[in-house]
Amino acid sequence: MMFKKIALAIAFSPRSEALICEVKRLQELHGATLLLIHIGKETDENKQKLEKLLQKYQIDKGSIEVIWDEGKPSKRIIQNCNAQKVDLLVIGAMKTEFLFTYFIGSVARKIIRKAKCSVMVLIEPMVKPTAFHKVVINGTQLAQTPYVIKQGIEFCKAEKAKQVFILNEIKMYGLQMATIGEGNEEEVSKKRKTLVNDEIHYVENILKDIDKGDLNINIKVTSGRWAHELAKFSESIEADMLVLGGEENLTFFDRLFPHDMEDILGNLPCNLLIIKK
Amino acid sequence: MEGLSHNEVINLLLQLAAMLILARLLAEGARKLKQPAVVGELMAGILLGPTILGGLFPDLFQSLFMDNPSSAMALDGFVQIAVILLLFIAGLEVELHLVWSQGKAAISISLMGLVVPFALGFLFPYTFPDFFGLADGNRLLFSLFMGTAMSITALPVVVRILMDLDLFKTKMGMLIVAAAMVNDIIGWLIFSVILSFMGKASSLSLVQTIGLTLLFTFFMLTVVKAIVNRILPWINKKLAWPGGVLSLSIALCFLAAAFTEWLGIHAIFGAFLFGVALGDSEHMSERAKEIVHQFINNIFAPLFFVSIGLKINFIANFDIMLILAVLVISFAGKIIGSGLGAWRVGFDMKESLAVGFGMNARGAMEIILGLIALENGLIDERLFVALVVMAIITSMTSGPLMKWSTKKSDDLPEPSV
Repeated sequence: MMFKKIALAIAFSPRSEALICEVKRLQELHGATLLLIHIGKETDENKQKLEKLLQKYQIDKGSIEVIWDEGKPSKRIIQNCNAQKVDLLVIGAMKTEFLFTYFIGSVARKIIRKAKCSVMVLIEPMVKPTAFHKVVINGTQLAQTPYVIKQGIEFCKAEKAKQVFILNEIKMYGLQMATIGEGNEEEVSKKRKTLVNDEIHYVENILKDIDKGDLNINIKVTSGRWAHELAKFSESIEADMLVLGGEENLTFFDRLFPHDMEDILGNLPCNLLIIKK
Repeated sequence: MEGLSHNEVINLLLQLAAMLILARLLAEGARKLKQPAVVGELMAGILLGPTILGGLFPDLFQSLFMDNPSSAMALDGFVQIAVILLLFIAGLEVELHLVWSQGKAAISISLMGLVVPFALGFLFPYTFPDFFGLADGNRLLFSLFMGTAMSITALPVVVRILMDLDLFKTKMGMLIVAAAMVNDIIGWLIFSVILSFMGKASSLSLVQTIGLTLLFTFFMLTVVKAIVNRILPWINKKLAWPGGVLSLSIALCFLAAAFTEWLGIHAIFGAFLFGVALGDSEHMSERAKEIVHQFINNIFAPLFFVSIGLKINFIANFDIMLILAVLVISFAGKIIGSGLGAWRVGFDMKESLAVGFGMNARGAMEIILGLIALENGLIDERLFVALVVMAIITSMTSGPLMKWSTKKSDDLPEPSV
């Protein structure tokens, strides 16, 4: 299975309980070991709280490990995940009070940027969690995309997803169409089709070497900026998980001018799985 | 307000019809020869203008374009709008997020591709101002203008070439596109500073002008961009599509153009920067962009390019030595500069050469730049003709040269970005 060690940072809030239930489901699904990280003092009170939680949700103590650590939350969580060779870290998203939209707070954003493991962001963790049925995978042409698609498909197989969409977009479609608009009507529509087919072939080429099980996979092509298009598409089909690759080696320059992914982190369309190598 | 008379209206309509029909005919001819439409449109102007029609049928030329000053004035209004709209789509093509995603390599290619041609373009005219046709202006300003006129790569031409060669989505292709975008922005920044010193007496000092230009750029790319990003979803949702986004974006483009004109920087700069701000918004859909492009490229662009031929006699001002000098400087500057930039970030010799050839394409922007300088008395007609010829020849040769250099290259560039 793809995730052998799954980690969760806990804070003893009602939300944490739901998150524990979610990771329990993932742990069982992937046959993984579970790592609970608490950044704060290891007091008797906290220990008791944890004990109660584990009992309440019938989590087998033998398959979990608890880390008590103090310091700056983002830094300590990243360090522990890296040291323990965690494959997946699960975190909860925040919700704006008035607009009921979800976003990722600054601590979580730092973790997503710097952690070496994949990160799952859940917008509405539930005490009675369900599998992810409608999954969207980012298929835009990036260096990491073949890996992301492969991992995304693995994940979907484990979840027994009912519908899988891989979304790819035509870069600078407007400008491309405007510059090739010098043929006659037939030629232009042929070229328009070629642009779409090129993007479909790109994904098909990646898929052909992957074992897809009996997944129902759809390739969709849009135009525009990929992050925005992914968010829009996921929202429109009411997807319950969006899988995309994480960005590595962000420099000062990249921070100054936010990358496409920041658009998604600022307004989450659904749950997110950020795959890292 | 005094309107056009019956005859003047007819005259204006005939002018517009003649320009559009001939532009279309010759653009089709250019298309058959696999050349950009702009080549045909420029030729249409030369045919309709003093060069051919004025020489062969002076009476017809006179009655069509010269007899009614009011319709000539109205036509000039159309051409002014055309230039502003051309700069607007040039801005729309710049996708800042693509530039950032290409990072340092794009900046390196772009800066080297700007600095070297700029230096050469500055140095020679500064040393031999008479040969290069300095009209009655400031030698420094003249040389700075020449430097800028050598440095701006024509983005639409480059995109077309890359698509034809199937290099558009390769690493090299995306880098060239991003570098051309950076080129555009910096080139227009420099030119807008030069512009504010030309012609219309400016009351601002150099430092004030540069400060103002940078401030305006910053304002457009931050505040205006953020506002656009906020209101566009609303426009797309609540107003008729694509009517709402089309009319409002053109209106705002005119507003930005009016503002920069009022500031003492040229109107086109405002239009360009508003285009950048709008084009970078993820809510500006690609379909809307395509419509804007088609509408401007096929109606306003031909009017502008034909109008150039109407203003200037190309044969009388054809100076072969000057043209050769401009060609040598522009080829050498851009190919060496961009090539070095590419080589510095790890491309091999042949690939770097291909990048240089790709970046060498100039086009509409040089012609617009030249025309403004001509109208403001900074350059003479001979040099303007040389710049137009340079723009055409660099555009026409860029594709074949790139094809030749990538074919020779054993290891083709990586297939994806």
